[in-house]
Amino acid sequence: MKMVLIADDSETILLLMRTRLELAGYEVTTAADGQEVVERVAERVPDLLLLDAMMPRKSGIDALRELHAAGHRIPTLIVSAHQNPGDADAPTDLEIDGFVTKPIDFDRLLASIADLTGA
Amino acid sequence: MAVIGVGRFIQKRQDFEDAIARSYQVEMTARVRIAEGRGGAAARQVVQRQAARRENLRTNISNDTRDTALLVAAGLLAGLTGALLLFSGLIASLRRPLEELVDAAGRLAAGDLSARVEVGGLSETATLGTAFNEMADQLQLQAKEREQLDRLKDEFVLTASHELRSPLTSVQGFAELLMLERETLTSKQVETVEIILDNCRHLVRLLNDLLDLARSDAGRLAIKMRPTELAPLIDEVVRTLRAQTEGAHQSLSEELEPGMPSISAEPDRIRQILVNLITNAHEYSPEGASIGVRARVVGDEVEVSVSDDGPGIPESQLEHIFERFVRGDAGLTQRVGGTGLGLAISKSLVELHGGTIEAESTPGEGSTFRFRLPLRPAAAAGAETGRATVDSSP
Repeated sequence: MKMVLIADDSETILLLMRTRLELAGYEVTTAADGQEVVERVAERVPDLLLLDAMMPRKSGIDALRELHAAGHRIPTLIVSAHQNPGDADAPTDLEIDGFVTKPIDFDRLLASIADLTGA
Repeated sequence: MAVIGVGRFIQKRQDFEDAIARSYQVEMTARVRIAEGRGGAAARQVVQRQAARRENLRTNISNDTRDTALLVAAGLLAGLTGALLLFSGLIASLRRPLEELVDAAGRLAAGDLSARVEVGGLSETATLGTAFNEMADQLQLQAKEREQLDRLKDEFVLTASHELRSPLTSVQGFAELLMLERETLTSKQVETVEIILDNCRHLVRLLNDLLDLARSDAGRLAIKMRPTELAPLIDEVVRTLRAQTEGAHQSLSEELEPGMPSISAEPDRIRQILVNLITNAHEYSPEGASIGVRARVVGDEVEVSVSDDGPGIPESQLEHIFERFVRGDAGLTQRVGGTGLGLAISKSLVELHGGTIEAESTPGEGSTFRFRLPLRPAAAAGAETGRATVDSSP
């Protein structure tokens, strides 16, 4: 079973995404901020990262930058509240596999995840 | 100088008269001696010499008179010129500050709030200059305050629409979750969830539109131009929206000129404009209406039009149709789900592409919305950071 690590500072959003992903047959772990993302990856490397761009303490982008520096190359989707992602959240120095806008179109999200994890 | 000249001339005239008088006196003395018979040749000589001397004196004085007259004339001319110079200097000292004021006022009126005048000249113009500068200071201060307020408003809308997205994601997401198990729901419950989802979609549209307008106002609505084929784009939008129009038994036709060249545009934004225009035609037209989308090359522009044979737009509304939150008579149809922002955004997007948009309508016969985009944008780079004008609601 493919494992997805989801990070968002909203518990409700985490619950929503966990439910949808588990229904689609993924194993899910969650993190409330970027720091927890780094810790979870240290415990076990997931098949995909689904990171909120803006989180307190450490943003998804900063966590990803740290993971890349540590040599981790995990397929990553960035969740952004921006209507046109790339406007504000897109880092120019990081390779990102895709953007997901809020409100989330789950059909598209699940298709991207399946694509990136080869599930 | 003329005065000295004239003074000297009077002195000379005096000397001349004295000399003439003396000469006559000498001559008279000589003539008396001749008359008395004691003058002889010497006395006659004196008479002759005196006559010659007077002649000489007269010539001299006449020269002096002419010179003096010339001197006086020259003096008068110089005086007049001096007076003129003095007068024009006075006028200039009045005119220069006034001209500067007129110039600065013109620049101020044209929007250059940094326009100031140099205070100087006569006390009246100096006072005027000081008053003008104070007024300009005040205007500049007010403009800065207004700019700050505008920026705060833009920031607020951007942040608010951003913050609203997370709870909206939850509401929509959980409603969708319920719908995943619709077979366990009663039909009443399904209907309820569908209403929730409908309103979520409406809220998303409203948020997106508000965000676009706030970005446009803040000059942050960027257009990423790239070569774009219009025909497939229009075709795709029409096919996507056909489900909606067919639901209302409306016909949606397209008429695309073959071989249209590609234009420089952001496809997503052109799609957004088309969706806005076709959705409007669909929502404001009754069941069974015909909607036509046409595209053709006109001169050095591409013209895209969306026409319907719906109820049309009254003239009083037509002139405000591109202002935000101006909507047609929604009472006509219950299906209208627009935000009242679509046309304002479309206008701003068309303008960011360097194009124009217009609406025409005959009440009772239908409406046509038409936008034109340049085949070769004059300044694609400029348009990228360009700021479109969006009509504010009155």
